[in-house]
Amino acid sequence: MASPEVLLTNLLYGLTIASALVLISSGLSLIFGIVGVVNFAHGSFGMLGAYLGFSLVMATGSFWAALLLAPLIVTAGAIVMERLTLRPLYGLNPLYQLFLTFALSLVFSNLVLLVWGGDTVSIPTPSYLRGFVSIFGIAYPTFRLFVLVFSACLAAALWLFIGRSAWGAVLRAGLHNMEMVEAFGINTRALVTAVFAVGAGLAAVAGVVMGAMRSVNPEMDLDLITSALVVVVIGGLGSFRGAVIGSLILGTAESFGAQLLPGLAKFVVWIVMAAILLWRPEGLVKDA
Amino acid sequence: MRRALPAALVLLVLLALPIGAGSLYSDFYLSLAIRVFAFVILLLGFDLLAGYGGLISFGHAMFFGTGAYAAALTLKHLTPSVWAALAVAVVVSAALALVVGFLSIRAREIYFVFLTFAFAQFAYHAVNSWEWAGAANGLPGIPPPSLWIAGRLPVDLDRRAVFYYFALALAGAAFLVARRIVGSAFGRVLVGIRENEERARFLGYDVTRCLRRAFLISGVFAGVGGAVLASFHGFVAPTFYHWSVSGEVLLMALLGGMGTLVGPMAGAAFVIVLGDILSSWLAERWLLVMGLIYVACVLFSPTGFAGIARRLGALRDAAPAERAP
Repeated sequence: MASPEVLLTNLLYGLTIASALVLISSGLSLIFGIVGVVNFAHGSFGMLGAYLGFSLVMATGSFWAALLLAPLIVTAGAIVMERLTLRPLYGLNPLYQLFLTFALSLVFSNLVLLVWGGDTVSIPTPSYLRGFVSIFGIAYPTFRLFVLVFSACLAAALWLFIGRSAWGAVLRAGLHNMEMVEAFGINTRALVTAVFAVGAGLAAVAGVVMGAMRSVNPEMDLDLITSALVVVVIGGLGSFRGAVIGSLILGTAESFGAQLLPGLAKFVVWIVMAAILLWRPEGLVKDA
Repeated sequence: MRRALPAALVLLVLLALPIGAGSLYSDFYLSLAIRVFAFVILLLGFDLLAGYGGLISFGHAMFFGTGAYAAALTLKHLTPSVWAALAVAVVVSAALALVVGFLSIRAREIYFVFLTFAFAQFAYHAVNSWEWAGAANGLPGIPPPSLWIAGRLPVDLDRRAVFYYFALALAGAAFLVARRIVGSAFGRVLVGIRENEERARFLGYDVTRCLRRAFLISGVFAGVGGAVLASFHGFVAPTFYHWSVSGEVLLMALLGGMGTLVGPMAGAAFVIVLGDILSSWLAERWLLVMGLIYVACVLFSPTGFAGIARRLGALRDAAPAERAP
């Protein structure tokens, strides 16, 4: 059996993946919660963020500038996309939105191929984040620890924002009953756009940090959207808490799965998702 | 019988297509048409489940691929008879659809979409790693099938025109069967379930059983479609199982207009032909343009071609603006 050090390394890596997954999946989950749209192009936001981040690091030489600017650019793009394409389709059969976002993801992935080519690139990280740190007697890559702490802080901030702020209260009300929120005189269109924009920005942040941790490639959008879909389906669509729980399950399953069952690593995601859906067809968490 | 004339014209053109092939235009158009016929069979199956039963599958690539691999393995290892290949494809895809349907039909709407997607991805990774199925390389060199039955009809289907008529006949037969199913009592019950599941249940119909049966039929259609394409190409690869096939099916059905049978068939033809034109014209930029066309389609006509045709028809009939619903 694996030694405690190996277990601890896997656990930390699982938590690292999970914290990044929270960033990418919460936007997907919340936008479904308030307008019932499953945004298939959500993974594209992550990929666009990663490629933009790469170009920005190359242009400015600063990882931090990329981490800040790339999500802002993606957010601006997402606002335009939501206004022009998704807004006319709210309230229609969800299929049309799935179809639209599927088509948009096709457009984005080909755009990436045209602009950046099909090459796999990696985002350079600051020198002080390379190397290893020792925690509890094991050597853990510094950058992974940074991803864990940074993403967990962002997720915690988002959780506090949704749970404690006045805007968060409006969002939580919207997850229950959007019409009622509108009846109270709140501009729900602006709310939807804001949730969409923040979700896209967080996905781009996740894209940058994951792109720096692993690599940036043209299939990244599919990897990101499948992980995010599995997470929200496990956790239950439309719930931030569910996204967190789903991320923890998938993150640890991925890191331990790769260690314990190397031949089956690709199957782990699908086995976990099918098993949980069969056991609880509506996901683990059923709240807002 | 306003529709009889266009239908007869389409059939006439399709029957005459091989005559000019090789002289007036390239043989390649026959291959393209055969690809369309294979997808037409797949789309008919998808429409029975999604357009009539109301269950959107995002995993039909799994049945398409399974039919393709079953046919390929039969042709390669057992017999060159295309009928045997089709029969094996039907049996294997039916068995798979039985299991997947049994497990998936407990979920509805978007959860059903994801569950079928999960099973299809599982199948994709499985085929990618099974050595006896050629793993990631697939199975090349499948011998050309023949119409051979017990020593009779030893017609090889390796000539493109012959295979063309064979695939056309199969697609035509699939359409007639699908229309028969839609018109039957079972088809009506399916529409009833789509419109109001609870009411169908209260009326005493076994909703779960009906949907499982629809899923089974749908999977078999998809398997036959895959078998046709595989035996034509003489080659199968895990790309048959790729999720983009499931996505393409959804796009074709939506473009054509679901729940009309003819619409998704037209959607399949449109997407495949347009894809070919764009890819030869725009090189690697074609998917970008294709995506933009999809976006425009869903924004400007969410009901697809069938909706456009209906609107045109309504204009032509010059009916009063408000017709009885």
